Amino acid sequence: MTVSTTSTAPAAALGVLPRADGSAKYSHAGYTVTASVNGPIEAQRRDEHPYEAHVDVIVRPAAGVGGTRERHLESILQSSLSQIILVKNFPRSLIQIVLQVEDSPENDYVNTKLVQASLNFSIMPALFQTAVLALLSAGVPIRATATATAVAIVPQDGTKRSVVDPSPRDVEIAQSVHVLAFTSHDELLLAESEGDFTVKEWDDVYETAKDVCCRPVPTKEGMEMVLDDEHTNGPDLRHFLRSTMENKVASDLHWK
Amino acid sequence: MTTTERPLVLPGDPISPDLIPSSTSKPLRLGPGLRHVPPSDIVPVVAGQLITNHQKNSMWVEYNSNRYIPAPGDLIIAQILRSGPDLYFTSISPYTPPATLPHLSFESATKKTRPQLAPGALVYARVVLANKHMDPEIECVSQSTGKSDGLGELKGGMVFDVSLQFARRLLMAKSKEEGKVEVLELLGGEGLAFEIAVGRNGKVWVGGEDVKAIVVVGRTLRETDEGGLGVEAQRKLVRRLAKGMK
Amino acid sequence: MPREAEPSLNEKQFVLQALHDSVRLDGRELEQYRPLELTFGDQYGVADVTLGKTRVLAKASAELTVPYADRPLDGIFNIATELSPMTSPAFEVNRPTETEVLISRLLEKTVRRSGALDTESLCLVAGQKCWSIRVDVHVLSHDGNLIDAACFAVVAALRHFRKPDTSMEGGVLTVYTPAEREPVPLSWLHSPFCVTWSFFGEEGDVAVLDATWMEEQVRSGSCTISLNKHGEICQIAKLGGVPVEAVSLLQCTNVALVKAKDMSSKLDRWLAEDARRRDKGGLLAELSAENDRVPDM
Repeated sequence: MTVSTTSTAPAAALGVLPRADGSAKYSHAGYTVTASVNGPIEAQRRDEHPYEAHVDVIVRPAAGVGGTRERHLESILQSSLSQIILVKNFPRSLIQIVLQVEDSPENDYVNTKLVQASLNFSIMPALFQTAVLALLSAGVPIRATATATAVAIVPQDGTKRSVVDPSPRDVEIAQSVHVLAFTSHDELLLAESEGDFTVKEWDDVYETAKDVCCRPVPTKEGMEMVLDDEHTNGPDLRHFLRSTMENKVASDLHWK
Repeated sequence: MTTTERPLVLPGDPISPDLIPSSTSKPLRLGPGLRHVPPSDIVPVVAGQLITNHQKNSMWVEYNSNRYIPAPGDLIIAQILRSGPDLYFTSISPYTPPATLPHLSFESATKKTRPQLAPGALVYARVVLANKHMDPEIECVSQSTGKSDGLGELKGGMVFDVSLQFARRLLMAKSKEEGKVEVLELLGGEGLAFEIAVGRNGKVWVGGEDVKAIVVVGRTLRETDEGGLGVEAQRKLVRRLAKGMK
Repeated sequence: MPREAEPSLNEKQFVLQALHDSVRLDGRELEQYRPLELTFGDQYGVADVTLGKTRVLAKASAELTVPYADRPLDGIFNIATELSPMTSPAFEVNRPTETEVLISRLLEKTVRRSGALDTESLCLVAGQKCWSIRVDVHVLSHDGNLIDAACFAVVAALRHFRKPDTSMEGGVLTVYTPAEREPVPLSWLHSPFCVTWSFFGEEGDVAVLDATWMEEQVRSGSCTISLNKHGEICQIAKLGGVPVEAVSLLQCTNVALVKAKDMSSKLDRWLAEDARRRDKGGLLAELSAENDRVPDM
């Protein structure tokens, strides 16, 4: 199966919302999402947990109020983010994460129905990544960082092709779309799939996603990776995360 | 300097053993931002710079944030929310459970002579009890000596929000050399008269008679914090704002 | 959720005293706005407005639908404002607060009722098909003066928006996709802007423009004037609060006109800049559907 990508490089800015504890704005593959993180703050009685913090995720689409699809995305994000946040440090508290979708790529071949807009499944990696960046910006203790990506299996000329960061056109004609997230310890954190696919196809998708998300960060000594032509599948997410945080920490600690 | 290299660490990064100070005499002390995973792993939990101090055999992660987590011994500025039978309920940071302050926790206070604080009043206090399972408790008098040591009600003036790291820099004993913050001395040098109380929860109280002076102090603090100004830029800022005042 | 942090007595007294001496905490003049910035998204109809630390995002979208039975010749136009916990943890989803209701109503009166958007032009087939235009307002950061920022964002988003082109041939309506024909702008009649005055003191004698969140907590009254650059007033809302001299209110209206003209010229300039920027993409941008637009942040 050949692998191809249509995405441009990701871009991120941290601390964009001055009144929130932490915030991030992230753009990649046509999606732009802004996230705010507040916490640990006081939880409502009904959400209080005696030994852990409650993680509340709210997803707001750009147009429309959001319906069942958004709630589904919220519950997936909540269960995966709760795995990496050290919730045991803050019992009876609330970590509130709000994700606002600002831009999503348009499919120029159809007229979109927007009043009851339901979010495309392939926005999930952008939502997840923005949430992780916002958590890092807020200084909420987390077990490890994480990166996520989407892979679609698209039929082309009789064979199947894996597309990393599929465009809306790709998603429309794809047979299946998968979203995977990995922690910085190379563990699989999130795996959601839609469509018809075989186990072998999922295994290939897993390998592709792992390659995109878990590329080892080059150490100072080894410069071999510069000429490595095999790794051209999509952007190096971990490296991007690290360099974004490096800039943030350097500007925070400029005085040292 | 007793610190060695300072790498950027992200949560979950492995820390190479040669960075960990190993002294057989003192136990290793872990500061904020690090977590001990038994049996022998030390893992960062926030993104920041890893600082190790071999002399004191301690290590921590230096990072900036805006959400204060109370720790015993910290000096903070709290706001009275309401009064209970023998406690005040105070707010240390927004949207968190209130911290309690006993009515008699003031210098030479008795039931008849205690200060009556209205909701909305500000106090400079010390955190006594803070752990993840209980609401925090604060005091305005030192329990051992019975003296207030500058704690107590802050009357008048204005309070400004700063980031937690900036508050730490201001509170450093040698804020000019280690914290690289000179603004307070510079402002005093320009002839402004004001009082200062710095709370580790990211609040700075500025008191005095001159409203304009207090506004200038507040603007200086905010612009130094948000702009990440170095010492030279701080000098220029103070000169500009003080001139604008006259 | 009554969890909003109230400022301390020290802060309230200080801000009032400073305002009586004509001193504002950020060093502005009493009638000076904070720096106003506007960025358009990659898609048509997305406007991101920053007014100091206040940030509002407005998104315009269109859908084909059936017109209302009592207005068969008009299209549908709605503005939706929902404050989320991103604005402040004190706001909850699906629980409208007073602030939210007020903003909704003011935007409704200012933009919808004043006829800024020509709804007749949205009608495609009388009584059967029309466009439903919807603007969603999202408040990303709240540091006071949400109304002025939100109104500016709504107007900018609507003027920037492009709806799909349509054609009517012998009773058959064809709606073209963006790939077939370039989308067209909305029929826009005039651009209203909101200017909010805040009054302080027991006599309401100190009047200030573009209050920050802290100043809003201490004010004793406010008045929002909506008008366009020609001086045509869409609405004036002074909902209770301290009584203000009528003469002062008239003076406020005069200053509001100056500010509205200023906002109008700024918006025209930004729209022109955006049009120039998109033109640089040239025809290539239209032909390829899989064009990767570099996000500008």
